[in-house]
Amino acid sequence: MVAGVVIIGLWWLVAHNAGSGWVQVLGDLVFGALLIGLVGPFVVVSRARIDIRSAPGDGTAGSPVSVGVVSRGRLRIRPVEPPGPEVFVGPRRRGSPDDAVVTLVPERRGVHRAVILDIASAAPFALQWWTRQVRLALPSDLHVSPRCGRAQPVPVRPDEGTGDILDRPRADEGLPRGARPYVPGDPRRLVHWRATAHAGVLMVREVERPAAEPVTVTVELPADPEAAERVAEGALGSVVGLLQGGGSVLLGTREPSGTVLEPVADRRSAGRRLARAVAGP
Amino acid sequence: MSVVDAVRRANQPGVPEDSVRLRFACLGAVVVAIAACASLEEITWTTAVGAMVLVAAGTAFSHATRARPPWWIKVVVAVGAIAACVWFFHEVSSPTAGITSVVNPLTALLVAVLAVHSFHVPSRRDLLFTLGASAGLMAVGGALAIDLRYGLYVVAWACCSLWGLTEMWTSASGGGRIRASGLVLALGATSMMAAAVFLVLPAPVVSSRVDFIARAGNGGSIGEPGRLAGDSGIAAQLSRPGSPASRIRVGGYLGFAGSLNTALRGNLGNALVMQVRSQQPSFWVGETFDTWQGQSWTESQPIPTRPLRQSSPFLLPIPEGDVPFGQSDLQTFYIASPTANLVFHAESASELWFPSGKLYVARNGTIVSPLGLGSGSIYTVDSQVSTATPAQLRTAAGPIPLPAGLAHQEDQLPHPYPRVLALARSVTAHDTTTYDKVQSLIHWIGTHTRYSENIPPLPAGADTVDEFLFGNRVGFCEQISTSLAVMLRSLGIPAREAVGYVPGSYDPITDLYEVHADDAHAWVQVWFPGYGWQNFDPTAAVPLSNPSPGATALHDVGSALGRVPPVPVVVVLVFAGLGALVVRWRRARPATWGERVARLAERAGRRAGRPRRPSETLGEYAARLDERTGPRSSTWTRLASSVEASAYGGHDPPRSAQRAMVEEARRTRVRPRPLDGGVAGAGEAPVPVGSVARD
Repeated sequence: MVAGVVIIGLWWLVAHNAGSGWVQVLGDLVFGALLIGLVGPFVVVSRARIDIRSAPGDGTAGSPVSVGVVSRGRLRIRPVEPPGPEVFVGPRRRGSPDDAVVTLVPERRGVHRAVILDIASAAPFALQWWTRQVRLALPSDLHVSPRCGRAQPVPVRPDEGTGDILDRPRADEGLPRGARPYVPGDPRRLVHWRATAHAGVLMVREVERPAAEPVTVTVELPADPEAAERVAEGALGSVVGLLQGGGSVLLGTREPSGTVLEPVADRRSAGRRLARAVAGP
Repeated sequence: MSVVDAVRRANQPGVPEDSVRLRFACLGAVVVAIAACASLEEITWTTAVGAMVLVAAGTAFSHATRARPPWWIKVVVAVGAIAACVWFFHEVSSPTAGITSVVNPLTALLVAVLAVHSFHVPSRRDLLFTLGASAGLMAVGGALAIDLRYGLYVVAWACCSLWGLTEMWTSASGGGRIRASGLVLALGATSMMAAAVFLVLPAPVVSSRVDFIARAGNGGSIGEPGRLAGDSGIAAQLSRPGSPASRIRVGGYLGFAGSLNTALRGNLGNALVMQVRSQQPSFWVGETFDTWQGQSWTESQPIPTRPLRQSSPFLLPIPEGDVPFGQSDLQTFYIASPTANLVFHAESASELWFPSGKLYVARNGTIVSPLGLGSGSIYTVDSQVSTATPAQLRTAAGPIPLPAGLAHQEDQLPHPYPRVLALARSVTAHDTTTYDKVQSLIHWIGTHTRYSENIPPLPAGADTVDEFLFGNRVGFCEQISTSLAVMLRSLGIPAREAVGYVPGSYDPITDLYEVHADDAHAWVQVWFPGYGWQNFDPTAAVPLSNPSPGATALHDVGSALGRVPPVPVVVVLVFAGLGALVVRWRRARPATWGERVARLAERAGRRAGRPRRPSETLGEYAARLDERTGPRSSTWTRLASSVEASAYGGHDPPRSAQRAMVEEARRTRVRPRPLDGGVAGAGEAPVPVGSVARD
């Protein structure tokens, strides 16, 4: 812009002092084009209207999330929060579709109710880009789960003196199949007394598909966002590992308001829980 | 960011530009600019065509190698540009370099740079540079353009450039094209902005002293040294004083021939004689006369046959009796039609750039060219233009008196003019200074005489001044100015006749005054001690400065509007107004019978003080109207039901029934709201005063 002003100033000086009207006419034309080239994008960006047509509810940190947007004019969009690559939206020509996809690549977990975009234009002459930041509400919250880290071993809760291994899958859930001899570690409540009396050895009930005893994974996120991200990634990895092993998981987070405990059935719900989690007290 | 970083960043290679259309647009702009310069003979057409071919080839090469330009191309471009610059500086450093020998090498330099650069234009930024350079080339061409034909090149270049700029946006935005409406808006805004700036900015001036153009044109040489020629429209043909060969001749003014016959004024036509670029408007004086013979003016001091031999620029001697007082004013004269071989100039010429090694300069300041001034001749004069104010002239009593011999000549009269003297004395009875006497006489002439060229020639032997002042007082500029000069001389004030041209019409685009044949003029020069010869003219006024483009445009618009006949305009406006009214009435007219009934109901309600509420349906409104139409009246409700059945149910009654219903709606009256005894809101039932609720 400064260069344009300097060029026009010099041009006018030369034109005015050279005594030639045509030089001045040409200078005026160049000035007009420069002015429209400089001011035009400002008008376009100021009047630009962009709407979000579709957005997913879930995403993962570091992975692209596609958001459908619609714009009447051709604009360059750079997602700021969550960040993402630059993209051009808007119709290429009259009658062509005016919707496009903006890709967001969230860096961290979190819940986004809106996206912040830098919209820019250099129309009509591509001499100067003008940029404006807009905040667009998402149709639904975007839960960005942490990356899935490496599964960490879940420590076994210490025996309470009963000899029961509490983390062993419980046998009192599922369809009854029969009874079998007791093996050390079977919960006491599964002892089938009638069959024991009949067989003379300690018998326990056996079910068809013994459901897993829910594993409680409690996460306490540190205050440092980066460290919290790493912890959340590890927690998610552990939860996913547990879920893949067929168990059920209770995911708890220690937060300033207390521990928030929720059962998570799959990676998505675990990701959402961790996306909402805040650092502990 | 440091300067080094900025330079490094600026030199980073840009993204390869794939748009073929953008390259075509830039190529078009460059080709048009080269052609424009060639049309002004700044470069030869051979050079221009060669450059165009090179640029086209370079553009194709750049496009083909845009992704990976060969390493050696930058070296070639740099060497080529440096060589062109070296050649340019060598050319302009020549001691005989004039403005053309600067402009022409500059044009060649820009063309060479553009041609070489076109081989290395990989990115969009490089193409923008190409567009900018083409603008510079157009400007260099425009510096020498003196007519509106250059506008064709400007328009073509502007189209190519704006196309290129829009293609630039298309390319930058990943293929987005500007809509037609947006394009029109952008181009319109650009044009409006350019026009606004053009109108607002002051007219350009020549403020730098350089060696100016001097070109001989096609006038040829004149056989007899110091003789006047060209008044008949043939540049080299010797003039015949006071006896026009034809009454319709370009430049064939009777005064450009050694004497001025005031008995008749030839029909000069309106052909363009010359264009003048000047810092300020002025009378372009060609010749002055000091001897009045009753019907003709002649010059007592003949043009010398010994020429003034110098090389251009000529340093001219100060005319006898003149006092260099004022400011310098540069004028360049572009001769368009063969004219007299007089070197026209503003007031007192001091320096002259002329395409000849000699000139004939008379003691009274008249400059005669040894060459015929045909079309294409160009010369530049530096004059001293008087800046004396009326107050200075009123107190004029400088140390330099008019030379004695010259004073006698400037007071010369062929015979006594007792009536003229009496008239002049009576007009100037209350004036004490020469300046006031001159002004009084000019005012008297302006109010008591009339300018006209349509008068018969004076009979032979008749005295022009007596015939004019004491006849019907109708005459042309030669007669009017002669009368003023004789009146002044009869009062003892030194005066002489000057002939030349009025400034002509100013063209703000070319920044040139266009002088036509019928701009030939005669006026009076009065001598003031200390200030020399001052121009006075009872018939034409010369503005003080070049009009601004805006003032010129306003004047042109005003003149155009002034020429529009009022009656047809009024008739057209009346018909347009009636047409607009008819269109409006037709648009406001109800389209269906139902709408007419609804409209009639609303009108009846409004007249009765019960306008329809915005939220009210037609049925509800009709029920409210029925309450005031009559006891147990249901006319409006019935009509509304029919309308709603038609509008929403598709049950149209027969036409006769429709007409009957419309007629019934027209006839049905609603009782007006009572004016007293109640307070009611709009459309509300009257509420007795006593029943108004209190808080």
